[in-house]
Amino acid sequence: MRAALLLVLLAAPCSVHADDAPVVPTFAEETATSGIDHEYTGEWQYMVGGGAAAFDCDGDGRQDLFLAGGESPARLYHNDSDPGGALTFSERPSGLELDAVTGAYPLDVDSDGMMDLVLLRVGANSVMRGLGDCRFSAANEDWHFDGGDGWSTALAATWEKGASWPTIAIGNYIDRHEEFSPWGSCTDNWLHRPAEGGGFAAPLALTPSYCPLSMLFTDWNGSGTPSLRVSNDREYYEGGEEQLWHVEPGQPPRLYSAAEGWKALKIWGMGIASYDLKGDGTPDYFLTSMADHKLQELAPGADGAPDYRDMALAAGVTVQRPFTGGDIRPSTGWHAEFEDVNNDGYADLFVAKGNVSEMPDFAMEDPNNLLLQRPDGTFMETADKAGVASLSTSRGAVLADLNLDGLPDLVVVNRNGPAQVWRNRGPGGHWLNLRPHRDGANHDAVGGWIEVRTGERIQRRELTVGGGHVSGEAGWWHFGLGSAEAADVRVLWPDGTAGDWQTVPSDGFYRLTEGKPPERWTYSVP
Amino acid sequence: MHSFTRRQAIGGLSTALLLSAVPAHAAPAPVPQKVISVWYGLILDLVRHTPTYTPPVVSRTLGYAGVAVHEATASGRDDLLTLAGQLNGLAAGPVREAGAHDEALVLHAALGAVVAKLFFNTGPTGQRALKAVTDKLGAAIEAPLAPEVARRSRAYGEALAAHVVNWAAGDGGAEIVNLGFPEDHALTPGPAHWVPTNRIALQQKPLLPHWGANRTFAMPEGKSCRLPPPPAYSEDPGSDFYTEAMEVYEVSKTLTEDQRAIAAFWSDDAMLSRTPPGHWMSIALDALDAEGADQARYADVLVRLGIVLADAFIGCWQGKYEYDLLRPVTYINRLIDPGWTPILATPPFPEYPSGHSTQSGAAAEVLTALFGADHAFTDETPTIEGMAPRRFASFWAAADEAGISRLYGGIHYRAAIERGLDQGRCIAAYTNALKTGRT
Repeated sequence: MRAALLLVLLAAPCSVHADDAPVVPTFAEETATSGIDHEYTGEWQYMVGGGAAAFDCDGDGRQDLFLAGGESPARLYHNDSDPGGALTFSERPSGLELDAVTGAYPLDVDSDGMMDLVLLRVGANSVMRGLGDCRFSAANEDWHFDGGDGWSTALAATWEKGASWPTIAIGNYIDRHEEFSPWGSCTDNWLHRPAEGGGFAAPLALTPSYCPLSMLFTDWNGSGTPSLRVSNDREYYEGGEEQLWHVEPGQPPRLYSAAEGWKALKIWGMGIASYDLKGDGTPDYFLTSMADHKLQELAPGADGAPDYRDMALAAGVTVQRPFTGGDIRPSTGWHAEFEDVNNDGYADLFVAKGNVSEMPDFAMEDPNNLLLQRPDGTFMETADKAGVASLSTSRGAVLADLNLDGLPDLVVVNRNGPAQVWRNRGPGGHWLNLRPHRDGANHDAVGGWIEVRTGERIQRRELTVGGGHVSGEAGWWHFGLGSAEAADVRVLWPDGTAGDWQTVPSDGFYRLTEGKPPERWTYSVP
Repeated sequence: MHSFTRRQAIGGLSTALLLSAVPAHAAPAPVPQKVISVWYGLILDLVRHTPTYTPPVVSRTLGYAGVAVHEATASGRDDLLTLAGQLNGLAAGPVREAGAHDEALVLHAALGAVVAKLFFNTGPTGQRALKAVTDKLGAAIEAPLAPEVARRSRAYGEALAAHVVNWAAGDGGAEIVNLGFPEDHALTPGPAHWVPTNRIALQQKPLLPHWGANRTFAMPEGKSCRLPPPPAYSEDPGSDFYTEAMEVYEVSKTLTEDQRAIAAFWSDDAMLSRTPPGHWMSIALDALDAEGADQARYADVLVRLGIVLADAFIGCWQGKYEYDLLRPVTYINRLIDPGWTPILATPPFPEYPSGHSTQSGAAAEVLTALFGADHAFTDETPTIEGMAPRRFASFWAAADEAGISRLYGGIHYRAAIERGLDQGRCIAAYTNALKTGRT
């Protein structure tokens, strides 16, 4: 399959860096001048978590930042960055300043065009309704959302076919009240489905539950109906494994079984990153863990079964120990995210690393990874050269174009240490930032796909909410184009209809509204 | 009968002493056997959840914990003997102060300190559980005691623990580097020898290649029960070696449901279970619980089983790295069927002899000496992982099944199993010769 991919790539128009050595972008750390001064704090109950969310809370087109605080209050930072300029933010009172927050995902729950935010917490989770102008109010009661009283550590959302409200899966960790024997005390994950007439019905327990630290609704087989992938922390479950759930409209959720081809995998699952790396219409999944990480692709001959094989060693992304800094003990991975940071047309991989908490068998100085993808599907470590090999105890992160220059920037939340901000200074190839939009429910086309074609090559991104490590993004979807000065783009909408291919010039922002031609968006000073 | 779990062990404690409104000083203090049960329950949980705890490391910890229990017990009784002078390198321990001691608190202080030291590297949840048991079990024991008795008992337990920990520090197994997979280990060249069997980067080197040189407990040295070489490596279809590999392959093609269940039941994977030595310790704790054993009986069983498990892994590992034999999956993929995979994950270290077989034979031989040749029991240890319990007519019946499970699982040839069980029997003879009582 890799050989076939390589032939396709060789036949494609030459990208700017389509040799074996991707160009390494420079990330300038701008934490000190960014206006962000924030820590995710806390001890045992906050050893996991520490998420970030990037989304536009006031409609100015720039992605603002929400950072979980653990025992400290969470904070919202408004993005004040000028296009192409330094990353600058200002703290904004918003109604989101709750404590006990582990992470957050943006999601326009009520499809009113204003982004809402689901806060994962130790205690009751909170759905915060966006009111505009970066203000939020608690909506659990109005929307009949049962926040529970768990230790929540994962979220995924989708719109089931025909639904006007989303389905939200919440992953819950161990019973935090169990002092003597917390192992085996994984509490139920919940599936919040829409109620008749709006809002949410009483949650369904996703039993068995195995202490997930990441979840993702994903159409793994191109069936048009996403399934729920759950990455579980084997430290705490008994008899558990990674999971894939059927979530069919109108049906109770049901686990994929061994008889259906699901293969048991038991890891310290901490984060999921997905991307269709081969461009074949099926996502590949990178799973963070302790020591070896996993890169799963459907096995040859899977024949419709969820039969995955691990390609991490072959692709060079096991990232099982620090690559720099002198600490050779095994690594601990958390948030992972694919994004084309050098715009060469190949998705790259960022992994946040950090010791759980004084675990002496694992690296204490564990640098984050930035792995640039080569055209042959292998990856090259560049975090030190790029300047993002932080040795802080990292957890959640977002990779987003915060200053609208076409280069994904990086924000990382650290446990009991300052969050860090890096501006991507390039160089990079051409690019596109795209945002699908449709009328009615599910404005942002969650569950759909964007396709970008340059020559014979098509890049595909699934539009998901979830994954990573308690960190989510909403807004522009980024594509690197290499040397291409234009590209054909289309959206595969969640209902299965395919938009028309439409050509757009590179290096711009485009709203892709269903049934309409692409609309170029430019930033204007508010 | 039920599988020994820490939840079971601490159940009475947490319910009666910790979670109820009954003040600790008004509740009955835990008896010594209860203290042992709670701490062994914690040990078996920490084994599953502490990163370096592969089977050899587990066996070592069970060895030292057993010695701590025995020495704490024997030091308070005239009818028991110390193992100082009988075990390699163990000098005479501290002497008790004059005056009354509380045996439960002596045990608690000794086991608490030994466990804290041997599991120094467990994660934050393990540390939290350690602290909870240390503090709350200690408070429950101490509540009815006179302060001087409590001070004296705690002081002796802690001194004994320091003695055991200092002894342990020099055995060669105290430091585990890179989770037991040393980066600088050179693989033995040649087609007969072990090569990595999975795509895990950490496991491209084998586990604990120097473990066979560790100081043993009761047997003189790692080579004391040295095995003959395995069948000579050959790729000739008429050779014994090829025949053995073909047996593994053909058995894998005709596995019955019961054989699959047996393979899974004894799989005992590191970091996903109590591991093979923890499995046998769980069996022994169930047997002690079932017979209502007293403290001395607990001490005798736990120290002998702990010692023999530790010696078994040292002896077995000596053989593994002396012969450094390739695993069935390597040979079968190379010469018989490139697409074959065993139903169990192949452990990341050489094949001969089978570790589970050596230590199961050793455990069975010791437990048979302690409980009798016809001691029937139901083993529920892997029910934690959702498996059905299995009934055995004797400890040796269980050991034989544990051995053959590795053939069903596709990870061992027959010679490694049969000779491993024999090796275990040999190693156990040294443990069975120890004198723990004066009669």
